[in-house]
Amino acid sequence: MPHSTSAPRLGDLERVVMEHLWEAASSGGADFEGATVRQVHDRFEGEREIAYTTVMTVLDRLSKKSLVTRERDGRAWRYLPADTREALTAQTMRRTMTDMDLTDRRAALLHFLDGATTDEIADLKAALAEIEGRAADAASPPAARRRGLRRP
Amino acid sequence: MPRRRRPLDVAGCVAPSFRGSVPSTGGVPPTPRTCCPAATGPGWLQCSKSGAVTIVGVIPLALATLALLLAWVAPGLMARQKQFRRAPRASLVAWQAVTLGGVVAAVAVPLSALPLVLDTDEPMARAWVLVPAVLASTAIVARLLYAGHDVGTELRRVRQDHRQLVDIIAGHDGEHAQLRILEHPTPTAYCIPGRHSRVVLSQGVLDSLPPAELSAVLAHEQAHLRGRHDLLLEFFTVVHHAVPSRLRSAAALAEVRLLVEALADRAAVRRSGEVATARALMALAGSRTPAGETGATLGVGTTAPVRLRLLADGPPHPALPAVAYLYAAGSATLPVALLVAAWL
Repeated sequence: MPHSTSAPRLGDLERVVMEHLWEAASSGGADFEGATVRQVHDRFEGEREIAYTTVMTVLDRLSKKSLVTRERDGRAWRYLPADTREALTAQTMRRTMTDMDLTDRRAALLHFLDGATTDEIADLKAALAEIEGRAADAASPPAARRRGLRRP
Repeated sequence: MPRRRRPLDVAGCVAPSFRGSVPSTGGVPPTPRTCCPAATGPGWLQCSKSGAVTIVGVIPLALATLALLLAWVAPGLMARQKQFRRAPRASLVAWQAVTLGGVVAAVAVPLSALPLVLDTDEPMARAWVLVPAVLASTAIVARLLYAGHDVGTELRRVRQDHRQLVDIIAGHDGEHAQLRILEHPTPTAYCIPGRHSRVVLSQGVLDSLPPAELSAVLAHEQAHLRGRHDLLLEFFTVVHHAVPSRLRSAAALAEVRLLVEALADRAAVRRSGEVATARALMALAGSRTPAGETGATLGVGTTAPVRLRLLADGPPHPALPAVAYLYAAGSATLPVALLVAAWL
């Protein structure tokens, strides 16, 4: 199946192309008007073996994922990042955290912790103190043994 | 096809005194004896050879009761047996066994009624039971398959979308191909299960946790991925969606989720010790209060206090997992045993 072999490669290319667009957008500032498929393709000339059509596919996929927006420029499209990387990261973080409260999506991602309410923090601290206390007891053996261990 | 079963006497009665002398052609005994008051009663009562009155379909009834018990009563009761949380692995086995047992019992109810009619010589009576029974069992299986498809497709879609997004926006770690770092100050850690699984950490968690606690967090997430806890949760979610909404128990699903977390915590304790694991839990719980608040308003309790309490309480009495495993064995085998008994 060609799809299964090309999908990871496309994913990798999506990242590289996206990074290029972000870079171009941040260095170009407000004047950045997007990049055409040709410009993106030229950017990787000599660095990576990417066909022009592949760049087209990658940009098309990114646009379907709403990661880039595009504007008509004559006969070509100009592609711009839809958002900065920071904004996208913040948005993703927010979404994964609120999704945890929606029962159906809870099983999609497995979080280390689903947070705690302020009322629960006191219970948490008590339990932690108990565990730390027990560990401290185990770590400090009777005085006799400790003396023996400290012998130079 | 000659069957081993005793001939079913429509009139319903073979008195003990007639035992052995009853003609094998299945002739009607001259008069109903005292042994069998049911001969004139409703059709679902009949006499066995020994003369005792038995209810036709005692096994289908037992299976139906069992299905209700396992699907409805048991989850509610089990969710309240908090001491079993200390043996998460055995408890999860028990939950799986009960859930599977409930499904098998429900599918088996119609099937177990079939032997009752296969002996009758009336084709119409046979068809009237056979067709609905097979349809009922098929419907249950179909509903499960549909829910499985529904839940599975949605989960895989959400995971794939999220993985592709994270692969683009997050930093990659050269050493760990699975690891992704989100450039964000809020400490968080999670994994995206599936064929191309990922462990996602935020820069905030890398900055705020010392190495031992970080390795506890990673051990926890890797335990999820290695143990395929996602499949376990998917199984329970599918059954949860397939059973009629009246029988659904949100508490049961929440309990299973908690047990999965407790199981992964044990992997973290094995790698980094209980102090580091407890501190990591505390650190992430403290930083995630706003999300917890929304959880609380929705009536969904958070797992943090219970999990930290479980760490503090330490391992359970050895009898506890044994009880859970025994209970699991019973719940899984009883429906199968009843179905086999119906066909013997």
